[in-house]
Amino acid sequence: MGSSTAAILLQGNTAKKKKKIFSLEVPFYMGPITFLLSVFVFAPLLIILFYSFLKSGQYGEIVYEFTLENISAVLGAGYGGVFLTSLYLAFQTNIICILVGYPLAYYIARYGGKRKVLLISMIVVPSWVAYLIRLYALKTILGNKGIINSFLLNLGVISDPLEILYTPFIVMVGLVYTWLPFMVLPLHASLEGLESSLLEAATDLGANPVRRFFRVILPLTRGGLIAGSILVFIPTLGDWLVPALLGGSKVMMVGNLVAHQFTVAGNIPAGSSLAIMLAATLLLILYLAIKWGGKEAMERLV
Amino acid sequence: MKRKKLAPKILAGLSFLAYFFLWAPVLVIIVFSFSANRYGVAWDGFTMKWYGALFQNEAVKEALIRSLIIASVTVVVSTLLGTITAYGLYKLHFRGKRFLRTSILLPIIMPGVVTGGALLVFFTRLIHIPLGYTSIIIAHIVFSTPLAVFVVLGRMQRIDWAWEEAAMDLGANRFRTFLRVTGPLLMPAIMASAVLIFPWSFDDFVITYFVAGIGTTTLPIYIFSQMRFGATPVINTIGAIFVAVTIMALFLQRAIEKKNKAF
Repeated sequence: MGSSTAAILLQGNTAKKKKKIFSLEVPFYMGPITFLLSVFVFAPLLIILFYSFLKSGQYGEIVYEFTLENISAVLGAGYGGVFLTSLYLAFQTNIICILVGYPLAYYIARYGGKRKVLLISMIVVPSWVAYLIRLYALKTILGNKGIINSFLLNLGVISDPLEILYTPFIVMVGLVYTWLPFMVLPLHASLEGLESSLLEAATDLGANPVRRFFRVILPLTRGGLIAGSILVFIPTLGDWLVPALLGGSKVMMVGNLVAHQFTVAGNIPAGSSLAIMLAATLLLILYLAIKWGGKEAMERLV
Repeated sequence: MKRKKLAPKILAGLSFLAYFFLWAPVLVIIVFSFSANRYGVAWDGFTMKWYGALFQNEAVKEALIRSLIIASVTVVVSTLLGTITAYGLYKLHFRGKRFLRTSILLPIIMPGVVTGGALLVFFTRLIHIPLGYTSIIIAHIVFSTPLAVFVVLGRMQRIDWAWEEAAMDLGANRFRTFLRVTGPLLMPAIMASAVLIFPWSFDDFVITYFVAGIGTTTLPIYIFSQMRFGATPVINTIGAIFVAVTIMALFLQRAIEKKNKAF
């Protein structure tokens, strides 16, 4: 009896001790990040949410008067059109990224062999540095006096330079250029995980390559496809630099409007409401994509 | 039989085009950094003078030093914070863990204009932090820490935790265990997140543009301001050097990895 009491006491004691450490550990490990997120992520977002319901004065000061004007302006024809353009461009970019990225990822996964690491780094490396300068180079290539135009003019294929700059087309090219790696990497990861025995089985059972691709490979890489689409669509929709540099004032995306209101016009309530609507749109799309794409996509993402 | 051989060839061709697309602007930067054309947009014969001009350029030097300072501080703080957070997320169970985990994704998901705009308003209207180094570094830590958290967390799911248990059983306390056993085990992931965060912070334009204020010109902001006045060949030289440094860093990293594997 004595020993069992001791055991109970001991157990009770250790349990208590554990609990005490436990209660100190959570604040120690989770405190800093909680502080960072609540002060520098949630608070700023809540503040712009608050400001988006206020009025802007003549000199950029904030008038503390409740209004729904900013929000209704976002939904109105002017800004609403820009939102639609952005959604359309992001969607288009996503599709092109899949069309370009899928064969690339498939090639690396199936035929990469020993050069796999090199081939992957060759996709990642250009996206690492000099983001601005690379976009500028794209302008140098595609611009009205750019390389392609001078080349075609010299050949006599065209008599007037093609107007590529400041069109939705060049903005889309820039977006694909910037975000393509984010499509290829998850696609490659899911293609790597593909069991070759399944492909052999499909061939043995008489499926031709086209049928095999659509009935076996594509469904099995759905997770990678959704993960890649999330990684491309989300940053594309909120992009500002690509439309700013390549679209000029002719092709505007929501990012341009937000940046303009905050940094040029100095209209904080208008900028805030645009930013909040953009964030809300993104979160909604992300929520739907994860709900639709399910666990497999999430696993690829995190 | 013939079709079987055709498919890889078509794929290889398509892949080559994709690579060409990704690398063409990089090649243009490198080639034109040696071109005598004074706008840096065409080939007018070979010259090294833009590199000379670059090394004489005080504004570039100052901006470079600023960017290096910001990226270094960001890397140190973010990886430290990210490692602590990842450790807690992996080891501890507490209320609101799921919410916290999802919240950590928020700075990655939010577009730069939203994060930048919100922080700008927050700094200038609410807590009155003067725009400059402090505001830039805080902003960079905000968007870099989540990366470190997820890179380290990914590694934690693969390491052998028996080492840690052994250390604790042998009488080391948690702190000592972390310092001597768990920390070194996580080192590759911590280094990987640093390698990821450094260029991310160094190259960031959008968020920095919002919170930099006047006077704290980082290198990307300098480049942007130069571009607005039209192309200058000096920008091409900066880009070419960036590319060269990145490729060298990659080879160095690969060499270190190989050496580690040999052990």
